Amino acid sequence: MTMSEGALPKEDAVLRVDDLQKSFGGLAATDHATFAVERGTITGLIGPNGAGKSTLFNLISGFYEPDGGTVEVNGTDVTGMEPYQVAEHGLIRTFQTPRKLEGMTVREAMLVGPRKQPGESFLTLFTSPGTVAESESANLAEAERILEDFEIDHLATQPATDISGGQMKLVELARAMLAEPEVLLLDEPVAGVNPTLAKKLKGQIRRLNEQGTTFLLIEHDMEFVMDLADPIVVLDQGHVLTEGTPEGVRNDDRVIDAYLGGGR
Amino acid sequence: MSLLDDPKAAFADLSRPEGWVLGVSVAFVLFLFVAMLTGALGPTYFLFLVGLAGMYALLSFGLNAQWGFTGLINFSVAAFFGIGAYGTALMTASGSPIAGGFSPLVGLAVALVVALALALLIGIPTLRLRADYLAIASLGLAEVVRLIVLNERWLTNGSAGLRGIPGFFDGWPVLSTFPEAMPGLRLEVIPGSPVILETAFWQASLNVLLVLAFAGAAYFVLRRAHRSPWGRVLRTIRSDEDLARALGKNTYSFKMQSFVLGSLIMALAGVFYAHLNLYVGPGDLDPITTFYAWVAVILGGSGSNRGALFGGIVIVTIREGTRFLNDVALPIDPAPLRLLLIGVVIVAVMRYRPQGVLPPQRELIWPSAVGGGGTPETPDSGVRERKGGDDDE
Repeated sequence: MTMSEGALPKEDAVLRVDDLQKSFGGLAATDHATFAVERGTITGLIGPNGAGKSTLFNLISGFYEPDGGTVEVNGTDVTGMEPYQVAEHGLIRTFQTPRKLEGMTVREAMLVGPRKQPGESFLTLFTSPGTVAESESANLAEAERILEDFEIDHLATQPATDISGGQMKLVELARAMLAEPEVLLLDEPVAGVNPTLAKKLKGQIRRLNEQGTTFLLIEHDMEFVMDLADPIVVLDQGHVLTEGTPEGVRNDDRVIDAYLGGGR
Repeated sequence: MSLLDDPKAAFADLSRPEGWVLGVSVAFVLFLFVAMLTGALGPTYFLFLVGLAGMYALLSFGLNAQWGFTGLINFSVAAFFGIGAYGTALMTASGSPIAGGFSPLVGLAVALVVALALALLIGIPTLRLRADYLAIASLGLAEVVRLIVLNERWLTNGSAGLRGIPGFFDGWPVLSTFPEAMPGLRLEVIPGSPVILETAFWQASLNVLLVLAFAGAAYFVLRRAHRSPWGRVLRTIRSDEDLARALGKNTYSFKMQSFVLGSLIMALAGVFYAHLNLYVGPGDLDPITTFYAWVAVILGGSGSNRGALFGGIVIVTIREGTRFLNDVALPIDPAPLRLLLIGVVIVAVMRYRPQGVLPPQRELIWPSAVGGGGTPETPDSGVRERKGGDDDE
């Protein structure tokens, strides 16, 4: 009933991780990890503490350079690229602890999201201010629309540092959507979020997924991840232990062993 | 815009600190004006002070573009200032050992190119690393530049410095002969204390014109850049560089642009200084200039262009204003008091207003994108003021 690596064909993988390795000193934090995220899915990435989930995220998004193996986004090999280049290929990530943008309002913080803004070129500010104004208006309208979709438009002009941790997670997700990701990596989207907001976040992720965004998410809240994600990839000691449907994973003895520490 | 359309609303829109600064500034200008009319303050000296204030404002603008916008810690303000001053002096001064005699416009161009080269030289190896490395490298750079200027006599005349620097407008049509062409004026507003305006005064007003042009241009550029998407990326980098990278921003490139921009503005201050003082020496590269620029930016509120301007003016007021203490009989020499006073001001600001006197107030979104001035959804002044914490409001 469990499925081994590569059991699914995954013709249309938006993210493909192949034999990825990373060691810190003598510790193999990522140990020949191989898996793929199929377009249109919400793929969950679970594993006990120290399994190497966050390291894997950092490797995929370019924050760490792998010792071996490859990462492909949309069919392009992005191994060893800078994080901004990986993002340019359509892979956007969020962070475990919400990142605070001091001195910005929520909608200002949102406006960092869109990629390739004409106003991000210094010269364009002076040679073609009209273009800048146009794209800024469009982005602002889009930001406000997304905030409305997330039902947090009332926060738009609040200082971004004054909102609650859960609201920050929502804003982070909303901002990531402005970057129009092909695949969005969420690092513990509901950690420290109260149940009401967590439910809201779950609904939002599901809605965005139905509209076409692919997700890969790390989450410790089993109920949350089992309800939302399919398939689920289980990581243990740096390598992919198994991969499958929530039911399959839940009933897999190796997964239970890994979590209870019996598998060593 | 709104000041002309609707002055009352423009004033009502000011936050309390803004109102205070405006009030104190107006009172200060009136005070200086009265001092001038009574003859206590020479008008030519006053214009010299305005020139200095402009120069410090430029230095603060430059540092604000680096540290205030992006969080880049640059301890070599004095080096870029000195490069600007020496760059133009070496090209234009009659006493220059290598070139000399060129138009100040050539001097300006050379100064900017050398400053650009130096900024790239220090930026390329350090800006990919953590912020601390730029701080350390720039600290070393400042000393290296100063020692080169002091010791490479064939290039810089060493400790003798460079003499015979022309005024910036020498050789220009009309402006070069303007000071001589202007008639000497004798104003006697208050009987018995006439104010005399002659060639030196007109010369000084040309200098003020120059620094206003430099500072005005720098302010215009920075203001537009600050509230643009470009500036927003810089502010994101300052708060959290990883977030900017994760959202697809090439932070190395943005940091480099911010660093170069700030360095060029600092060099501009040096160019102005050389043509104001007509002499430059290695002493002009002393680290105290760096210190003053930092004080000005911290005082004014990092990230705020108006704050940098305000900080620059306060620095000149303290630096030059304390000269008048010479007339008062004090038990100790007043010169060290100047630094003491600056220290006290910094401690007071840190204690009571850590964000600076005039921190950035309003939301920074490209103005026309928010749909014209004064829509109800535009947050009013003091978006940041509210979270001040220990504020008494």
